Amino acid sequence: MSVFMDLNLSYTAERSRLKSLIETAAHLGFSTVAINYVFEPAAKKKQEIPTPMPIKELIEELPVVQGRSRPIRVLNRLTVVMSDSSHFRPNAAEYRCFDLLSVQPTTEKLFHAACMIYDVDIICISVTEKLPFFFKRAPVNGAVDRGVVFEVSYSAAIRDSTRRRYTIANAISLMDNCKGKNVILSSAAEKPLELRGPYDITNLGLLFGLSDRDAKEAVSSTCRSVVLHAETRKSASGIVYTMNTCSESSGQQEAPPADCEAPAAKRAKPHLTD
Amino acid sequence: MFGDLERTPRTLLVCDRSSFLDEKNRLSSQVEQLHFNYKVSMLLPECSSAPSRLEAVLNSFNSFYLIRKLPIHELLDKHFLETSVHQGLVSGLSYRTRIDEDNCVALMPNGHLSLSLDKDSFELLGVEGKPSRYNLGTNSRYVVSVDLTDSSMAPGGRGYQRLVTGLRSRIQLKTDFLLSHHPVGGGASLQALLSRCDWSEHRPEVRSYALTDLCCPLLTSDLQSRDPHLLLEWLGAVDADVSCENSSNSFLSTLVCPEPKTTMSRALSVSVCGLLSPQDVHRLIQQIRCYLDQPRLESWASLTVHGFVDSPVSWGGDEHGVLRGGENFYSLLMFHDHTYHLHLGTGAHDTCPP
Repeated sequence: MSVFMDLNLSYTAERSRLKSLIETAAHLGFSTVAINYVFEPAAKKKQEIPTPMPIKELIEELPVVQGRSRPIRVLNRLTVVMSDSSHFRPNAAEYRCFDLLSVQPTTEKLFHAACMIYDVDIICISVTEKLPFFFKRAPVNGAVDRGVVFEVSYSAAIRDSTRRRYTIANAISLMDNCKGKNVILSSAAEKPLELRGPYDITNLGLLFGLSDRDAKEAVSSTCRSVVLHAETRKSASGIVYTMNTCSESSGQQEAPPADCEAPAAKRAKPHLTD
Repeated sequence: MFGDLERTPRTLLVCDRSSFLDEKNRLSSQVEQLHFNYKVSMLLPECSSAPSRLEAVLNSFNSFYLIRKLPIHELLDKHFLETSVHQGLVSGLSYRTRIDEDNCVALMPNGHLSLSLDKDSFELLGVEGKPSRYNLGTNSRYVVSVDLTDSSMAPGGRGYQRLVTGLRSRIQLKTDFLLSHHPVGGGASLQALLSRCDWSEHRPEVRSYALTDLCCPLLTSDLQSRDPHLLLEWLGAVDADVSCENSSNSFLSTLVCPEPKTTMSRALSVSVCGLLSPQDVHRLIQQIRCYLDQPRLESWASLTVHGFVDSPVSWGGDEHGVLRGGENFYSLLMFHDHTYHLHLGTGAHDTCPP
C-alpha cells in the first residue's frame, strides 16, 4: 500500500481557509493533497484558465503528517467542466503549470471522448445531480486500459441529504461498470470540517460497493498511480524527463540535461500493468 | 452486494485457561514472544491507590532511547553487531512510520532484522525478500528478513556488504528509532552508536486513575458461559474511560457491562506506555500474583498488554499488518486461586497468536 492521498481540495481565495484545510488534512493522516482549481467555461464569454498559486506563497511551512515524520506534499490540479468538446484544448500551454489534469464531462459523447482520447488523469463523476447519461462498459474499460481513473467525491454527501442519495447512486452505478478498478475517492472539501480520515473513507468505499481491498486502494495505491501518470505527461513516453537548470545567475548557456531524475518508468507504471 | 456490509474484517481471538501452578502453562512463552509492547494497562478492583511494591516494579521498568533520523545502516555497524546484537541484548523498532504507508524496521532480540518496505524501496534496495503475506492482489509491500547472527551476514561477507550498500547509498533509509537494551546498565556498548546520532532517553510513562462506583461483571475463576468478546469490550471501555451506562439521552456510547453485574465502590486503573520489554511484563505479572495472594475483598485483577500497531512483526517474529486496525494484544485475567484466563487478540492482517 502507499501513502494516503486526497486529490481534491477545493481552491478558495481565502488563504487562511486553504491553509487550515491543508493543516486538517495533515492532521488526519493524508500525506499528499491536491488543490483543485475548477474551470467552467461559459458559452458566450471567453474566460481564462486560472493560474495556480505557487505552494510557497500559499503556506510557508508545510505541516507534518500525523504519525509520520514527513511534511505533507501539496500539488496543483485543474478540473475542466465540459459541456462542449471545444472546452478542453489538448496540449494547451496553460495546463503545464498544473500537476494533475481532470475533466468532468456532462454528456455521453464527451464522456466517451474523455475516456478514449483526451490526455487527462482523472474523470470526475458528477455527484450533485442525477447522472445525465449512463455508463457503458466500452468507454470505461478503455479508460481503465489507458490508466485514467474515475473520481467520486464525498463532501457533497456531507452537506446535503439529497446529494447523499445522488452520490451513492452514481457511485454504485460506476462500480457496476468498472468493477471497482481505477477508482479514487476524494473530498471536494471547501471547509476543514468536510474532510474525513483515510480509514473512514475506506469504510465509505464499502458503501459504494467496493471490496475491502479496492476501497483501501482507492485512497492510496490508485491515487499514487494517478500522480505517476500525471508525471509521465510531462515527459517523453515516460522515460526522459528534462528540467531547466537554474542558469539565470550565470550568463552561460547550458544545454538542459536529460534524465535529471530517476526516470519515471523506473518506478512502477500506472498500476494496471503491474 | 450489501450483504458484504455486514461482514467486518476478520479478527482472531484465542482464549486460554490455565493455572500458574500447572507446570505446563504456556504463559511465559506467550509473553516472551511478543517482543515489542507499547502499553500495559491494569485494572485492580477494590483498590484506591497502588500498593507500594507494585509501584516499585512499575518504576523499575527499563528506560529506552529514541534516536531521531537513525540511518538504518548504522544498525549493521561492525562494532554494534559484535557487542550488542550477537549477544542478544538489544531490540528496537522504527517510530512514527506507518506499516501500511511507509518503510518500517524492527530489530528483534534474537538478532533478526525485519524490514517492511513499499514496492519502490524494495526494488531499489536490491536485497532478497518476499512479498508480504497480506498483499491483496498486486504486490505492493515486501518484507526483507535478515538473520544478523547467521554466518552469511558476517561483517565483510557478500550478503552483509550488499545490504549495507543498499541501505546506505541506494535507499538511504532513515527513520526515527526506539531502541532498548537489556539488561539495564549495559548501555556502554550502545554509546558508540548513540554518540553518532541525535538521541534522548525516555522512561515509560505511568498513569493511574482511581475510579468510583464502577459497574463491573461478576468474575469467578470457574465461569464457563461468559462471552470473552463482551468481557474484553467492557475492559476496553473502562481503560478508555468510556461510559457503560447506556443512558437513553446519550448517543455517544451504547456499550454495557455484561450481566450478571455488581457495583464496585472503587477501583484502580494503571497504565504504562513506552517501549516495554517482555521481561518487565513478566515481573509485573508476578507482582500482581503476590498482590492477589493476600486476603482481599475482590478476587481478581486484569492486565492487558498492547503490541505496537505499526510494528512489522508480532508474536514470534510473524508478520503483522494493518487493514483497518492493527491491534495485537493479550488480556490476562488473574484470580486469587492462581488460575488465569488469557485472551490473545489480533486483527485482519495477522497470523494466529501462540
